Amino acid sequence: MKGLLFDIKELAVFDGPGIRTTVFLKGCPLRCSWCHNPEGIDPKPQLMVSYHSCISCGACVLACDTDANANLCTACGTCVPSCPLRLRRIAGQWWEASDLAKELLRNRTILEKNGGGITFSGGEPLLQYAFMLEVIKNLEGLHCAIETSGFASEDVFKTIVDAVDFVIMDLKVIDDAMHRNYCGQSNKPILRNLEYLKRSGVPFMIRIPMIPQVNDSEENLIATADLLGQAEHLVKVELLPYQKTAGAKYEMISEEYRPRFDVKREPNVYTHIFIDRNIVCSVG
Amino acid sequence: MEQRIENIRDFFIVDKKHHAYRQKQLDPLELTRTLEKEHLDDVERAYRRLEWVLSHEQPVVFSDEQITFVRTVCEVPEIFSEREWDTIRQKHRIHEQGKVSNINCGYMSLIDIGTAGKRKEILTARKTYEARHDKQKVAYLDVLLKVLASMEHFSDRYREAAQKAGNTIVEESLSVIPRKKPETMLQALQFFRLIHYCLWASFNYHNTIGRFDQYMYPYYKNDIDAGVLDEHGALMLLEEFFISFNKDSDLYPGMQQGDNGQSIVLGGVDEHGADAFNDLSKLCMKASLELKLIDPKVNLRVHKDTPLALYELGTQMTKQGLGFPQYSNDDVVIPALKRWGYEHKDASNYVVAACWEFIIPEVAMDIVNIDALSFLQCVMDAIETLDDCDTFEQFAKEVRKRLRVRVAQICANTNGIYMEPAPLMSILMNGCIVKAQDIRDGATYNNYGVHGTGLSSAADSLAAIKRYVFEERTVDKQRLLHALSTDFADDAQLLAMLRYDAPKMGNDDDFVDDLATQLLDWFAEAMEGYRNDRGGIFRAGTGSAMYYLWHADELGASPDGRRSKEAFACNFSPSLFARTKGPVSLIKSFSKAHLERVANGGPLTLELHDTMFRSPESIKKVASLVKTYMDLGGMQMQLNGVNRETMLSAQKYPDQYRNLIVRVWGWSGYFVELDKEYQDHIITRMELDM
Repeated sequence: MKGLLFDIKELAVFDGPGIRTTVFLKGCPLRCSWCHNPEGIDPKPQLMVSYHSCISCGACVLACDTDANANLCTACGTCVPSCPLRLRRIAGQWWEASDLAKELLRNRTILEKNGGGITFSGGEPLLQYAFMLEVIKNLEGLHCAIETSGFASEDVFKTIVDAVDFVIMDLKVIDDAMHRNYCGQSNKPILRNLEYLKRSGVPFMIRIPMIPQVNDSEENLIATADLLGQAEHLVKVELLPYQKTAGAKYEMISEEYRPRFDVKREPNVYTHIFIDRNIVCSVG
Repeated sequence: MEQRIENIRDFFIVDKKHHAYRQKQLDPLELTRTLEKEHLDDVERAYRRLEWVLSHEQPVVFSDEQITFVRTVCEVPEIFSEREWDTIRQKHRIHEQGKVSNINCGYMSLIDIGTAGKRKEILTARKTYEARHDKQKVAYLDVLLKVLASMEHFSDRYREAAQKAGNTIVEESLSVIPRKKPETMLQALQFFRLIHYCLWASFNYHNTIGRFDQYMYPYYKNDIDAGVLDEHGALMLLEEFFISFNKDSDLYPGMQQGDNGQSIVLGGVDEHGADAFNDLSKLCMKASLELKLIDPKVNLRVHKDTPLALYELGTQMTKQGLGFPQYSNDDVVIPALKRWGYEHKDASNYVVAACWEFIIPEVAMDIVNIDALSFLQCVMDAIETLDDCDTFEQFAKEVRKRLRVRVAQICANTNGIYMEPAPLMSILMNGCIVKAQDIRDGATYNNYGVHGTGLSSAADSLAAIKRYVFEERTVDKQRLLHALSTDFADDAQLLAMLRYDAPKMGNDDDFVDDLATQLLDWFAEAMEGYRNDRGGIFRAGTGSAMYYLWHADELGASPDGRRSKEAFACNFSPSLFARTKGPVSLIKSFSKAHLERVANGGPLTLELHDTMFRSPESIKKVASLVKTYMDLGGMQMQLNGVNRETMLSAQKYPDQYRNLIVRVWGWSGYFVELDKEYQDHIITRMELDM
């Protein structure tokens, strides 16, 4: 079975315990207004160009077979090797599950010796849950973690949570109307899946991107903390303040970054709300 | 940090107020002219130079300090005029500045017995040579006696100045040392400072510090046991001592500001294999962490039993962005040195020279950077035979031959070295007094080290030829040769393919890593069997020093897609335009070679973005990576938290920084691929972080 990846990153130090390799699976059902990995959204391969260094030599235009303009790009990849500066690439490579596992296992000894393993991130990795399951099966018991929005059917969520050793889950905003507005989907499935995660027995961490005036209110964080309650296997909550560099990759996929909030404002970072409730909380 | 230490740091380092005392009107050429006129021999001249500097010094003692001595004489005179140097050069090879440098002397051999004890030693030897009527030896020993007297006199003048300044602590120290053995650690440090000061004043340079935590430990322990010092007091002392290395360092010779060889070595095993990292080592780390000064440069010796906690402490230091500690692996270095004939006791006691070369304290007059082999030059020397080669193996054989030619030339070119005498250094080196022989004439070990530069570019070049010319046959020999001779001017496609798509060292890809191993083996084998004219051997290494620019500047385009004159990577590292899979694959690639054969010194240099050092947890992971490299059999590593200067340079020369990775937020990206506004943002952020 094949899966679509847009990156593999070694020495991911913020994606779970120990030294880890993070696999980024392409495709996401959410449309978060602050998304910093826009090439992870579309579940198809797509062309990425570093226009910043382009010298407009025209080699890519000459190489293009389709005779079309950029809007009709099929991500066929013909232009990629034509660029003398290698500024073009296709985000989204198809990998056979067993091949991916084999590649990841090359560093197995080092990952295991340092208490780490593999983290599946995205995009939303649950979109390709069957592929992910097969990769995990082929990883021969190597520690696996998933970094997810939790947006998936109950069955899919359970299957994957039961198959991994650690879960990092985002909780963006508790108010459903806000969630629909800023993430493009209802958070009902997410909150339902959170309940399963809490009783699953799998250690987990909650990540909250702190977006100014979207979810950085005391009210939202108190609601979040109340939802988490005293979950036995909750390792910690990490608050990630919004960084102004989030929009860096949009131009590369010929899109425009249009955040619907005031990017100039510094978000509140109320760690005390969690700490007061005996939940370990840090700023990531 | 204590207020007093902060004041001292601000005074000397931030405000440089001591520069006001510097004597700008002195003319060092005046002495050079006198020496030339008087036709003195070089030993006498070397003494006269030290005496000239010390007698021209105007003692300045500050009321707040406990460790004194600061330079007011800005320039140390040459002992030969330019004309005399020309004559010497006709008969001799001159290495660098023709001075004894970059060795590690036995400070304690003087500190532990004082100048009075040392004088006795010299007089004993003098009697022996007098009985033999060996006038030359007697004259040499007389010079050593004069050196001691000069130091004592100089120290006495400082004592008087201390008295005038009302600084009773300094006055008290200088009434014990240098004549007698120090009674406290403070006095021992003051003595060290005096010796080090006088070495610089003798025009010796790259005056390394060595295993300070080992040799100073008895004084530390004594003071702690006697209640003279507690841990906090010792830390303050160390901090003031460390600041002293930065007071005059702008006056020290070196290739670049900061290249002054003040390397300190901490930890490591003792000769019985037991871990020697002690309380003093830990305090040294702490002092360096608090001070955030570039000197002394910390080298950590590690081994298989070194706890992760020490690597974590080291990583916290790296976080400061100063580029140290540098790690060296006892489990590789000690056996390698023994393989080269160093005694077990000496090999176990190794220290690090100015950059990364391994040297032995007190008993070695090795010149560890006598020359450098350019691996890529060897490949390019053979390129003209490519057309006649039917297989890659044939071509590889041609490369190996060219490499042997270069090695033969390098070794032959080391004969007849002349160095100025170094009487003070000789007092501090084992055997010089007994033999009445200056250290410039040799010690127990007289080996020469040869760097190896452009390894990754050479391995990548061979890999490209192997794959495209011989295996896939997608690149015609003539096309490649033409492109190389025209600097890829009319073949942008080939350039891009070789530069970006070809296999590169650093990706845990045996196809290219094995070629690097091969090159290193050839280098080591080619040097084995050669002897220098001092009876020593030649040691192959993986360091580059400044040669990675010099050698690259001499070379045209190469088959790895490197254009004419483009720089090599520094030391033992992937090429500047190799995009690697990441740090894990990288350390695997760089631990494959038979490093015990090429152990002159030269670290894997790793650049990590400073956000990797953000939390205690991530620091622990970076520390684990370093430990993993050593566990894999890595020899030496230095790592940098990437800083603002790198980024600014990357903006100017993006093509040289293609593998520079930055963490932008929740993702990492190639810096040069980011739009300028985002680059600027990260630079601004880094300014804030620092």
